Amino acid sequence: MASKVVLRGIQEVKPILSVNKTESRRRALNLYRAWYRQLPYIVTNFHIPLTTTQCKSRLRSQFNKNKDLKDLRVIDMLVIKGQMELMETVNNWKQRNHVMQLFDDFSAASKSKDFLSKFYEGHEQ
Amino acid sequence: MLRLWPIGRILGARTAAITAARGSSTGVTEKVEVFVDDKPVYVEPGTTVLQACAEAGVEIPRFCYHDRLSIAGNCRMCLVEVEKSPKPIASCAMPVMKGMRVKTDSPVTRKAREGVMEFLLMNHPLDCPICDQGGECDLQDQSMNFGSDRSRFTDINFTGKRAVEDKNVGPLIKTIMTRCIHCTRCIRFASEVAGVEDLGTTGRGGDMQVGTYVEKMFQSELSGNVIDLCPVGALTSKPYAFTARPWETRKVESVDVMDALGSNIVISTRTNEVMRILPRMNEEINEEWISDTTRFAYDGLKRQRLTSPFVKDESGNLVATSWEDAFIATAEKLSAVKGEDVAGIAGGLMDAEALVAFKDFLNKMGSEGLCTEEIFPGDGAGTDLRSNYLLNTKIAGVEEADIVLLVGTNPRFEAPLLNARMRKSWIHNDLKVAMVGSQVDLTYDYEHLGDSTQVLQEIANGSHPFCKELNKAKRPMVVVGSSALQRSDSGAIHAAVSLISQSVRANSSCDDNWKVLNVLQRVAGQVAALDLGFKAGVDHIRQNPPKVLYLLGADEGAITQEDLPKDCFVIYQGHHGDIGAAMADVVFPGAAYTEKDGTYVNTEGRAQQTRMAVTPPGLARNDWKIIRALSEIVGSPLPYDKLEDVQGRLCEVSPNLIKYGDAEEANYFKQAQELAQLTKGQLDNAPLQPDISILSDFYMTNSISRASPTMAKCVTATKEAAASKY
Amino acid sequence: MASRLCRLIRPAVAGLARCSQMPRRATAALQHVRFDSTTAGESLKPTIKNVAQTVEIAQLEKFGHYVAENLPKFVQEVRISAGDELDILVHPEGIFPTISFLKNHHTGQFLNIIDITTMDVPTRKYRFEMIYMLMSLHFNSRIKVRSYTDELTPVDSITSEFHGANWMEREVWDMFGVFFANHPDLRRILTDYGFEGHPFRKDFPLSGYVEVRYDDEERRVVVEPLELAQEFRKFEYSSPWETFPKFRLTEGDPETPAPKEPEAKS
Repeated sequence: MASKVVLRGIQEVKPILSVNKTESRRRALNLYRAWYRQLPYIVTNFHIPLTTTQCKSRLRSQFNKNKDLKDLRVIDMLVIKGQMELMETVNNWKQRNHVMQLFDDFSAASKSKDFLSKFYEGHEQ
Repeated sequence: MLRLWPIGRILGARTAAITAARGSSTGVTEKVEVFVDDKPVYVEPGTTVLQACAEAGVEIPRFCYHDRLSIAGNCRMCLVEVEKSPKPIASCAMPVMKGMRVKTDSPVTRKAREGVMEFLLMNHPLDCPICDQGGECDLQDQSMNFGSDRSRFTDINFTGKRAVEDKNVGPLIKTIMTRCIHCTRCIRFASEVAGVEDLGTTGRGGDMQVGTYVEKMFQSELSGNVIDLCPVGALTSKPYAFTARPWETRKVESVDVMDALGSNIVISTRTNEVMRILPRMNEEINEEWISDTTRFAYDGLKRQRLTSPFVKDESGNLVATSWEDAFIATAEKLSAVKGEDVAGIAGGLMDAEALVAFKDFLNKMGSEGLCTEEIFPGDGAGTDLRSNYLLNTKIAGVEEADIVLLVGTNPRFEAPLLNARMRKSWIHNDLKVAMVGSQVDLTYDYEHLGDSTQVLQEIANGSHPFCKELNKAKRPMVVVGSSALQRSDSGAIHAAVSLISQSVRANSSCDDNWKVLNVLQRVAGQVAALDLGFKAGVDHIRQNPPKVLYLLGADEGAITQEDLPKDCFVIYQGHHGDIGAAMADVVFPGAAYTEKDGTYVNTEGRAQQTRMAVTPPGLARNDWKIIRALSEIVGSPLPYDKLEDVQGRLCEVSPNLIKYGDAEEANYFKQAQELAQLTKGQLDNAPLQPDISILSDFYMTNSISRASPTMAKCVTATKEAAASKY
Repeated sequence: MASRLCRLIRPAVAGLARCSQMPRRATAALQHVRFDSTTAGESLKPTIKNVAQTVEIAQLEKFGHYVAENLPKFVQEVRISAGDELDILVHPEGIFPTISFLKNHHTGQFLNIIDITTMDVPTRKYRFEMIYMLMSLHFNSRIKVRSYTDELTPVDSITSEFHGANWMEREVWDMFGVFFANHPDLRRILTDYGFEGHPFRKDFPLSGYVEVRYDDEERRVVVEPLELAQEFRKFEYSSPWETFPKFRLTEGDPETPAPKEPEAKS
């Protein structure tokens, strides 16, 4: 009975690349590894004002952001985009500012604030 | 005069149909079946073909026909083919007949439309690119939809198209008479709705001109509406000329605060600037008209604005500063005095959100001295019973009334749209109007009973001959103007009026649900303030001079420097540098009604919301937020951070304040009247005189309209017009 | 004098000419935009699209059904859109076979790929409608192959059939985010390196999410969240007369049934 319910939930879809979890895991790890190995060269090539270790932790946190993803196709899509990004970087198609964008963080700008500071800044509600 | 005009009766039939629907027993008439493009529709007999088509969902193109005006039938654009009729008929003027088969899209109809359109365009200039009507022009739209794509008009000999000299009809309306297509909507509006017989036509055929006969100003408080009525660009707005195109503006549906009626408006904005104000349809309040202050005072929103907080320095000059500094300076003063030494006055343009925050703030500090600038008698039931200060019959109720007694008010300038309703009712329903107060021009005939309070007394005790007429009435209304209640004997006046209403109610044959007593407020914020429990009038402050006085948009000078002790610290919060800001030690810049989501309750007790159309200029902030922020600096923050929270608080105090769109009924007339008999005051002998009796006084009534250059031009123009020989 | 005479005669001549030249059907189409009484000049062409002859449309339909018969597994619908354009609606699996059939079958010979594009309709289950436009020089004919997909379903690339499709598919990938399987070089083509999102999706705001400026301190171009200093211009063109649907439709559109021909009146 329960299996029927599960079956109903499962939708047959066309895979992008990976057909099972192990495969997609392998792809993600491969991408991580590729970035990891390229990092020292990236840091020197683009004069990034950070140490390789800092960049590596940044890389890790970027991957960790998506650690809870379950859908294989979503993971595949992200891996594909990550690969494209890596290719653009190591081939020096990107310029320095493009690479530096990877270290910019917008989320810091939108902090939650109390009524008074919002009032002084003039932001509506 | 205009009391009976034959075609207008058709319109009257429509009004009658509405009243019938409201529940009066006119008897159900048999409906007539007509076919619009072979689709059957059932309509009331007497309906025009055009209305029947609208019922069937087919809009017939038209220029001269307008719902609220009499039928002229002179533009011929609404021609349709009717089976068995030898030629196309003008659908706006033709009543339906049984079994009529109307063809709205047949070749004959289309040919007729194209022919009419070709003739119209032949005499119309090709100046759409420089015409202000462009984009909202009926002629433009309809020629795209119904006209032909070519014309037989050629002007090979350069004899020129028809050209007409422009007229100067005052500072509000720009005329480009060459564009006029002689639909006569403006003429009909002026003589029927506005009641000013200034406009008319001269000449005939190709030489016909619409104008004022001699060069003079179109003197009406509703004149701006002809701009909306004009289907082409012949009458456009002078202040708005060449400023914006309709498609690039954003429209925000809001509510007006220039008078206490709360007319519904649309604010057009572009790049954070109010470009113009247009009426929005609301059958209960303003139909589709608005007064000239509502429409044109918006340029006052850009002048004399307070754009940053000010604090008075040692030399006594107000110096611009930051919010933090202004708050700290204020908080120092506030914490130095005791709660009961603080008092507040709320002005007439304040929204309920600001008022409730203001009240909570001052109450929290321990002050009870919360007053409104506008006076309302406090003796008797005073403001405790809502029925005492509302227009209980409602604005639309005027159309059902059969007799109206006006006491010390001039509705034409205090509430122009209420006056337009009374005029409409006077024309169609034979409404009888009588007046106690000084004689003014209301645009219709009324019985003037005198202007002394003696007359009021006589009517109250039943010795006046007019009482007989009142008692004969089925739906009598007694309207007392708020301006009459600004006097020292206001309590006695209110008591007399309330006695009149109660005795009329008892002696006449009006039904139990009909309300007689009406108060016509003058300012938009008053009803909300009274609902929230503000004391009306500043007597309390005169008697207990405060050490700190907080003026919330109080700009009418009810309290002056002389009324206050020397060391009194005055805080002013508001949007204009007017009388209030001039006497203040600290100034907080607030937001005007176009810049905030605010609740206003109109004189009927109907809560409505203004919408934020533009952001407040400079450092100005929404009013309730200023009070909320100040409360935090003082150390006792108000418990709301968001608009929804404030509205929740409003609901706690008085739930009717957030029932938007509904007019909350008030009751307890009898009790109010009984309490009113307890008033001690004696009637004064001074004649009852409304504040505004002539048009030139109408244009400048509050801080926004006082700052408006257009309104200033209007005042000059009306004064000149009054001095001219026409 | 002569010129005046000419002017008198000309409308009559024009009227005659029109009656004789135009087939009845075309006049009916014209009547819709303009009633024939008010014609003045010589030009008789209305300002609307000329729909092809019925014979041609019949031919197109015939060819469409022929394709459907040959590929019964893939073709879901054949239709004529916009008056005279042949659309073949196929299952996403059938894009490659259909296109390959159209290209290589001697009755089609659609050897040119004109464009590949996508239409985003977020309300649909498969939000992207893929549109392939082909042309046959040999038969002077055009055809559209339409299919559908969503954000995560890959579509087979047709680069092995048409090399010209390479950049077009890259463009669709860049602008809509549709992934093409077996594409030899799938990467961005229009957007800047590091750009996130697919701008042609309907849920992508017209203004974008970020703005770019040169920063003197950092000595590089920085990307920041969008903060529009100038008001975004949005135009509104609604007119109260737009409620006349009859005057807004184009004739001959099969999705909207053509109005009945008005009875001829003399």
